[in-house]
Amino acid sequence: MKHTIRQVFHSGKFVFGFSIFVAVLLIVIVYPLIITDPPLGIISQGTFFEPGIYVNVYDSIGSERYILNLDDATANRIAGRLGDKERLDMKEWLLAYGIPESEIDIADTEQLLGLWENHYDPKSPIAGMTNAQRNYYIRLDASLGGLLSTEGAIIAVNNPDTGTLEEKKVVGQSDYVNVGQVANVRVLPLGTDNFGRDVLTELVKAAGVSLQIGLVAGIIATLIGLTLGLLAGYVGGLVDDVIMFLTNLFTVIPGFVLLILISYSIGQERRGAATVAAVIGFTSWIWTTRAVRAQVISLRSRDHVNLSKLSGHSIAYIIFADILPYIASYVVMALILQISTAIIAEASLSILGLGPRTSEVPTLGLMLNWAFIYQAHILGKWWAYLPVLVTIALITFSMNLMNTGLDQVFNPALRE
Amino acid sequence: MKGYRRYFLNKLGWFLVTFVCGFILNFTLPRLMPGDPVAAIVARMAQGMSDATGVQAIYEQYTELFGTNRPMLEQFFIYVRNVLRGDFGFSFSMYPRTVADVLKSAIGWTMALQFPAIIVGWLIGNTLGALAAYVKGGFDKVLMPISIFVSNFPAFGMAVFLLVIFGVGLEWFPTSGGYGYDMIPNFSWGFIWSVIVHYQLPFWSIVVIAIGGQAIGMRSMAIYELNADYVKYARFMGIKDRKIIGYVFRNAMLPQITGLALAIGTMVGGALFVEIVFSYPGLGYTLLNGVMGQDYPLISASTLIITVMVLSANFIIEILYGVIDPRIKAAQAD
Amino acid sequence: MSKVMLEVKDLTTKYITRFQEDIYAVDHVSLEVEEGKSLGIAGESGCGKSTLALSLMGYYFPPLHYTSGEIIIDGRNITGMDPDDVRKSILGTEISYIPQSAMNALNPTQKIIHFIEDVIQAHEPSQTKEEIHELARGCFESLGLPASVLQQYPVELSGGMKQRTVIATSVILSPKVLIADEPSSALDVTSQKMVIKMLKNLMEKGFIKSLIFITHELPLLYNVTDDIMVMYAGQIVEKGTAKEVVFDPLHPYAKGLMGSIIVAEEGLREHKLTAIPGVPPNLKDPPSGCRFAERCGYARPECQVLPVGLRDLERGRAFRCLHLEKELRDAYRREGELNAR
Repeated sequence: MKHTIRQVFHSGKFVFGFSIFVAVLLIVIVYPLIITDPPLGIISQGTFFEPGIYVNVYDSIGSERYILNLDDATANRIAGRLGDKERLDMKEWLLAYGIPESEIDIADTEQLLGLWENHYDPKSPIAGMTNAQRNYYIRLDASLGGLLSTEGAIIAVNNPDTGTLEEKKVVGQSDYVNVGQVANVRVLPLGTDNFGRDVLTELVKAAGVSLQIGLVAGIIATLIGLTLGLLAGYVGGLVDDVIMFLTNLFTVIPGFVLLILISYSIGQERRGAATVAAVIGFTSWIWTTRAVRAQVISLRSRDHVNLSKLSGHSIAYIIFADILPYIASYVVMALILQISTAIIAEASLSILGLGPRTSEVPTLGLMLNWAFIYQAHILGKWWAYLPVLVTIALITFSMNLMNTGLDQVFNPALRE
Repeated sequence: MKGYRRYFLNKLGWFLVTFVCGFILNFTLPRLMPGDPVAAIVARMAQGMSDATGVQAIYEQYTELFGTNRPMLEQFFIYVRNVLRGDFGFSFSMYPRTVADVLKSAIGWTMALQFPAIIVGWLIGNTLGALAAYVKGGFDKVLMPISIFVSNFPAFGMAVFLLVIFGVGLEWFPTSGGYGYDMIPNFSWGFIWSVIVHYQLPFWSIVVIAIGGQAIGMRSMAIYELNADYVKYARFMGIKDRKIIGYVFRNAMLPQITGLALAIGTMVGGALFVEIVFSYPGLGYTLLNGVMGQDYPLISASTLIITVMVLSANFIIEILYGVIDPRIKAAQAD
Repeated sequence: MSKVMLEVKDLTTKYITRFQEDIYAVDHVSLEVEEGKSLGIAGESGCGKSTLALSLMGYYFPPLHYTSGEIIIDGRNITGMDPDDVRKSILGTEISYIPQSAMNALNPTQKIIHFIEDVIQAHEPSQTKEEIHELARGCFESLGLPASVLQQYPVELSGGMKQRTVIATSVILSPKVLIADEPSSALDVTSQKMVIKMLKNLMEKGFIKSLIFITHELPLLYNVTDDIMVMYAGQIVEKGTAKEVVFDPLHPYAKGLMGSIIVAEEGLREHKLTAIPGVPPNLKDPPSGCRFAERCGYARPECQVLPVGLRDLERGRAFRCLHLEKELRDAYRREGELNAR
């Protein structure tokens, strides 16, 4: 046994897959201990916030100010509001207005702004402009206000007594705050989803739930497969015929169809995570049964089994003592395979809308479901679904890698 | 041909048995669940209504329509009779369209997409796997990890991947639908071209997934066969390698065909998800709409049709195998 | 002096393992087979007899590599020949090989006749299908196989039938030398006899000019081959006529082989049943001395260390053993002393 374990950990594939899997597990377990926010808590008003570091503006006003004189500060500021696209748009407007092209240099900010200020008129009739475009230019014009000024911004507070605005503070253009000193800063590495939830926290929780579902379903499926396989292989005869018939039947009748039918029929209310896991487990034991049965059949004519039979041991004893140890390796591999299949099955069900109830826990599939329903993939909000897909891929990939590694250890013929 | 008869009848019998079982399962499973399906449906349908008697009337109407007030066995025979007539009832979510009507076009789209895609993917995958086994070296070392990765990627994942890269990112292909939004199905070139363009992404998604799965299997089979005794013996007898390769691939292909028959269920499942991701107007999309709209008759009929499709495909492949593998004919002849 | 069909001079071939180690599976082997004669090669599993057979064919596929020595078939030196030439003009036509467990040597999805067509067309592309069919039918029938076999698939034939079919296909191009690698090991006794009879028939009917019969059962060779060669750990340890080796084995290993088998043959029944303890040495790191020493009952300390060469006696008799050398020297000396007296 120890030798086997040593061999297993020598297999490059297994170790690689195992490390990835353990890494995922660690993240799932440790992350919630550090970040204790509820995963389904809605934290943003509005959908699909991009990943980034969100700094509370109000708090940063009150934070300690530092003056930094950086050369490119002004250029960055201007570029932030007047990017290439905006410059081209302005040029377009000016051209349509009638300014000759030779006079327009979009690289010269001052000149461009000067031309714009002199000539821009929201009411002037430019041919072929739609209403939307007109509004766009109005907005553009408004955003350009004060672009070149070097004065700071004034923070004024409403005086409750007089009702007027009183100047409280001036925020200079070279004033910086240290993000670490701002009271409220929220890092959203994966932004928010369509509901306004922190995707990363949600993802970690969802991964955990999916793994649990996978585990439960995998164990159920493996147990069923093991039992049926043992019975069919060892007892043989009519029992074998019946079990083989069932197996063949359910091989051909698509498993996912049954999964869909059962999940649907159970109904939304009854579909908790555990129930879904059970359903998946009960519809995916086919492959394991077949594999176990094949192994048992080849084992039952071995000498040590015959010896046991001659010694008068009961069937139960023979199965547990003589056969199980030899198929242990297959069972382990089958379990891994079942878990990984179950995770994908749950994801598939959830995408269809037949997964676990949506209000209690997120699962990887549910996250995908929401992302698709809200068109994240079309809108380019990649953070709502891509990390989920990558997680699923990582989990299943690492498990299958482990399996391949194990396979090569147990089946020397497959070694390269 | 006489040798085939027994094999053919055997497979036909099996097809009928599995069909009957699938049919019965399709019928009974939903009805075994506790609760009254009609009540739930009516509850939702009548959400806007405040008139109690109105709700009651609808409930009674649907109960009559579905026969849920009759014993199970009687319901079954009514169902069978209806199915044979092609009557699957009315679709809830798309009332007054009938389920049959909704399915008719969906089936066409699905068949046109999935079966060519699966076959093409299977062919390419097997060829690549065989090449990797024979050529070895760099090609093999590159192909293997890619195949392992692709085959482990869930079907919808691959679909999303391609959609995002080619549809949204590069904008080479449209991202949804079977044809342009503004088009009405007709036989004009414009329409046909639109169909072809919309066909690309879903098609290639399914192909890529099929390739990944097949390549690995074929490579293993081919490696196994390449080391077989008859290969060595043929070499001893001076037969050219090229001819021997032909033997090997023919022999390695056979289990792959059987494998396809066994895997067709899973492949169709995956392909259905591809349809969903691309909002392609096939059975997958219909199923999704059915689930979202709690459209029980639609769901039931869709799953039945899918089951029939898979069973038929399985049957055809098994028959094909019997034709191709000369040992079957020989074994049956005596 | 009859023509020499196969002459092997000092052949050495090696396997290169994954870890770049050299294993000399065939170590300086020399042999000779004359026209109309047969040679038996005996030795336990892993002694190098199959590797020797592959090497004789000029059939080098990695990890098997040629190192040194010469192979001459009917006067034609095939050492270092271009592999494509070997395939076209040597394999199957000059020298042919029947593999171990020949039953699996046939392509399960190919009719026998189609395989034969492929074989013949690989060597003589100008032959028409009818000519090939004629040839095949004639060959099969004269070897006692019904022509109906040609139209069947391997799965329809019994084990013994398949064996004989493979033998027939191997000789269809009338090679000069036929190597049969354990042709009877996987069969029941009756089939064994049929196969051996068929092999001997081949030479009589003129399908082949010489035969090499490889087996691990030394006594089996007595009524089958003219000469016998015993191999151990890649080296020849004894050579001689069948009668000499079977009835008067010199090398302790050969003695052990003869003693460890129940034989019903006359004159051998007195031998006690003994097993040879131990296992063959690891060829990755062969001992510098005699390779059989650690299992040998006659071994002395120097046997494992001192290199021991193949000692030729007259008329093709040879052995490789220090102990025997000493004995023979003593015997000669005594004879000499006797003669001197």
